Amino acid sequence: MSTAESSHHEEQMIYLTPTPVRIWHWLNALGIVTLCITGIQIRFPDYVNLFGTYKAAISLHNTAGIIVSISYFLWLFYYLFIAGTLIKLYVPTMDDIKRGIIRQALFYFFHFFRGGPNPHHSMPDDKFNPMQKFAYLMIMLVLLPLVIVSGILIMNVAPLREVIMLVGGIKILVSAHFLIACCFFAFLFVHVYLATMGHTPLAHFKPMWTGWEKIEGHGH
Amino acid sequence: MSIRRTLLSSGLLIVALAWAASAFANPNEACLKCHGDKAIISKGGGHLFIDPVTFAGTTHELIGCTSCHDAISSQHPHDGIRPPRAQCRECHAVIQREYAQSLHGGNASCTDCHNPHMVRQPMAVSGDFINAQCNKCHDKAKTVTTHSKWLTQADLHVDAMPCITCHTSSKNYVIIMYIEKRQANKPHSDFREATYAELAEAAGGKDISQLIDVNGDGKIEMSELRRFNINAKYKDMRLWGMMMPEQVTHSYQILDNRWDCTFCHSTGTKAMQTSFVAFPGKDGRYTRMQVEKGAVLDLLFGTPDFYMMGTTRSTALNIIGALILVGGMMMPIGHGSLRYLTRKNRKEH
Repeated sequence: MSTAESSHHEEQMIYLTPTPVRIWHWLNALGIVTLCITGIQIRFPDYVNLFGTYKAAISLHNTAGIIVSISYFLWLFYYLFIAGTLIKLYVPTMDDIKRGIIRQALFYFFHFFRGGPNPHHSMPDDKFNPMQKFAYLMIMLVLLPLVIVSGILIMNVAPLREVIMLVGGIKILVSAHFLIACCFFAFLFVHVYLATMGHTPLAHFKPMWTGWEKIEGHGH
Repeated sequence: MSIRRTLLSSGLLIVALAWAASAFANPNEACLKCHGDKAIISKGGGHLFIDPVTFAGTTHELIGCTSCHDAISSQHPHDGIRPPRAQCRECHAVIQREYAQSLHGGNASCTDCHNPHMVRQPMAVSGDFINAQCNKCHDKAKTVTTHSKWLTQADLHVDAMPCITCHTSSKNYVIIMYIEKRQANKPHSDFREATYAELAEAAGGKDISQLIDVNGDGKIEMSELRRFNINAKYKDMRLWGMMMPEQVTHSYQILDNRWDCTFCHSTGTKAMQTSFVAFPGKDGRYTRMQVEKGAVLDLLFGTPDFYMMGTTRSTALNIIGALILVGGMMMPIGHGSLRYLTRKNRKEH
């Protein structure tokens, strides 16, 4: 763990987000926003035309989808085999399940409004609070793989028809892809909003850009 | 003697009338006696053979051989005259003029696409059959390759539409669903259009339309469609939807608006309301049965294998999706509002 002390304040700078993770995050962010916007035009072309032509929206959607898919597998490879911290960071512990999630939910929806401290302090080996762990576990290991697989199938309907029939047909596949995409779109709102809940509104954005996060004595 | 002559004359007259009557009942019989026998192929070539089964029921069969082949003499084939080819334009002048002006006009004659002894009304043939005529000259693999240069998933488009949907003009389009079946005892074989015999076997003695139209009322309700699609007994069958022109024309052309995907992929939930299931008959002719309006827009089981992006989206699913988005927005809106109202509490800390 890299740390640096500030001489003027009782604050500690910790290197929270390694460079590969930051590159992956912003690539993913750009990709998912692109997928959401192009997805709107693909589903509602008679109301939305942001990219000139339907074909342009499809091509951009497919390209962004492939980039997000490759990025996902690189992320999985990095956390599984290079950092080796996938389970430690993303899988909730028994304590998280029994007490942590409730404690964190109470903070977000009750104590926060009364000015109470955040019970969780991000550290490189414990970056996420129990609610984050649960949410990211669902997103990264359930929803993202599902949306990627359904997207690959939708991009190759004729050659992969038999696989599509195994999941119940193209309509079930497209419906699942659409609903998961809606979850990601909804997640964007929640994610960006929660990122403003540091000790300053930009406190959580900076470490995702520079890697370094300022830790104060009383938490954030 | 005169009585005997009278009886003989009367007998001959009756025989002649009976022969005439039988000839009148089936005026093609004399022709098919030779041309309906495969032996004629060895004598003069395959084009001389007319399959009586496929010829039966065609409009051309009803009007009779000599309506088109009017130059045939009573001594044919012993007169030594090679009969001239029939002229389609004598009856089909309007179509012929339209076709002559199309891109295809100089490249193929009527009979290159339509065998006059098999030809059926456009509504009585399947989309696959129509494409099979095109594939005689336009190799399917090459067609997919050339269309792939600009068309996303060209292979899927070529499978889901007859060529004429894009390459002729029509005011409206409808979705026709054909029953496709895997080969018997081959669970992973490709689906192909089911024949009448296969469907009759599956129907177990009932009319084949009752495979889907269970109550036999001559129209297919959504519930009947769903029941067919989820029935495990029919797991080796599926409904394959194709987008077909409502009015078939011969104006073969490359239409500018077809380069724009939104010609098909944007008309929203008001379009694609009209669909039919086409059942093959014993003679190979298809009969269309109307499906309840909106079937292709049904969320899951109405037409599980038919979906047109941007066109057949489900309103119910849109509402669920919107609720998910609203749920996501509630965090910044609801929590954010409370956060703003309680900001003093956090400053105090």
